[in-house]
Amino acid sequence: MATRRTQVTNRNSEIRIPRFDAYERVMHWMAALSFFYATLTGLALWSPKLYWMATMMGGGYHIRGSHPWVGVVFAVVMGVMARRWANGMRLDADDRIWLTRMHKYATHDHAALPPSGRFNAGQKMLFWAQLATTLALFVSGFVLWFPEWMPRSLRLISIAAHPLAAIGSITSILVHVYMGTAAVPHSMRAMLRGYVLPEWARFHHPKWYKAWRASHHV
Amino acid sequence: MIVAKLIDTTLCIGCKACEVACQEWNDQEYTMGTFDGSYQTKPELEANFWNLIKFNEFEKDGATSWLMSKYQCMHCADAGCLAACPAPGAIVPLANGTIDFVHENCIGCGYCITGCPFDVPRLNATTKKAYKCTLCSDRTAVGLEPACIKTCPTNCLNFGERDELLHLAETRAGELKADGFADAGVYNPQGVGGTNVLYVLKHASEPEKYGLPKDPVIPWTVSLWKGPMKWMGTLMFWGTVFGAFFHFVIYGPQDPEKHGHPEDPSDKS
Ligand code: HEM
Ligand code: SF4
Repeated sequence: MATRRTQVTNRNSEIRIPRFDAYERVMHWMAALSFFYATLTGLALWSPKLYWMATMMGGGYHIRGSHPWVGVVFAVVMGVMARRWANGMRLDADDRIWLTRMHKYATHDHAALPPSGRFNAGQKMLFWAQLATTLALFVSGFVLWFPEWMPRSLRLISIAAHPLAAIGSITSILVHVYMGTAAVPHSMRAMLRGYVLPEWARFHHPKWYKAWRASHHV
Repeated sequence: MIVAKLIDTTLCIGCKACEVACQEWNDQEYTMGTFDGSYQTKPELEANFWNLIKFNEFEKDGATSWLMSKYQCMHCADAGCLAACPAPGAIVPLANGTIDFVHENCIGCGYCITGCPFDVPRLNATTKKAYKCTLCSDRTAVGLEPACIKTCPTNCLNFGERDELLHLAETRAGELKADGFADAGVYNPQGVGGTNVLYVLKHASEPEKYGLPKDPVIPWTVSLWKGPMKWMGTLMFWGTVFGAFFHFVIYGPQDPEKHGHPEDPSDKS
């Protein structure tokens, strides 16, 4: 680890490529924090075996009150994220090929992959999956929030749809967290500090890197 | 010993004494509702109104009559409210068959309302907790019968050991049949494993006419959530966690030094 860090850092020490501006970073970490809270409190109500988490978070009565509000915060942040990123998340021709060769990505056979833009096809799919599950969670969650006012048929659908959407969203976030922390070294710096180094950009997002070079005449 | 209530709908005169007794014993404030032109006290159960006499209008051969029914928690053997409840200890099945709500542990999610096939529990807007008939667990615990039973002037309501009451119910249904009510029978729906509130009905094949569901079962979406989905979720969670861990152990992190660059025909510089 240490040696690699020195290598990548030294070789390009002067050049920093901006990747996420402050707006994007705050938006992302608000999504992550609200998601984290909603996940813990949601899991507490998912199974009696996990109810100790409710006790840990202030008791069942308390989290029944807070979970939906934090869910609303999460949904709003996801709306902001969608406005910011939806355009750039459209799949292009390379991305479609990339998706059919996803196993090459997983086994580090990068030479077999078409080049990615600012986001690779996997990241784009995560984004769309999160938007879809957020919508499902928000609608079904809203129904479950006010059982006295909601028609029974909607409540019956939501009581199954809400945890189902949560399973989808939690598992995809687990993959995302693995990618962001362990699998792709230095990507965390992009989301915490906002910049990446040229070598990182050239390897992970070649088309994006080229566009940056072109516009900066490097 | 499992206890039960038996409601012989043919003997109900609609006096509503049981409604008053329930309010009194449980010390419930009465909330005025809207008058909708019916003899019925309220259109539906409420968080502070657990026992409703329904005046069901029934038409046959040009004549209208009432099919009385007493609506409250059925104290199901296989209770949907309990299946749906996420808060351990908030809904407690007692040894005598009573399904009791323990409000200290209730978190007010209202899932019991959705789980209940009889649509019985109600949320109190102020306390944000769910309420319903307790089968007077605070009376039965000391050997008293529930308040509604105690007060009924016509013997329409009976309380006692479930097996005996079921036998009594069958006998009553038999008598009604002998009196010419061929459709008479006992309401003890098996979809919820039987209920600890039993009814004698003149028109047993049409319980809907009494405001009772015909084949109540725990909603399948609740069973799905509490059954297969739980397995699927656990599997997917740990599958992903272990999958990611072993991916790292086998392949390690992505490394520009070692793993070559993505193909880019235009990038031969
Ligand atoms: C606490 C857990 C999380 C960590 C550690 C984490 C980490 C990261 C990192 C390092 C990036 C930058 C990747 C890059 O530079 O290409 C990123 C991007 C992103 N994050 Fe997260 N994140 C977390 C939670 C979430 C949540 C809850 C959501 C949304 C529901 C989310 C949505 C996104 C999206 C859409 C992107 C851009 C595309 C992508 O990189 O996949 N993240 N995250
Ligand atoms: S009638 Fe409803 S509230 Fe009563 S035990 Fe059955 S499911 Fe629970």
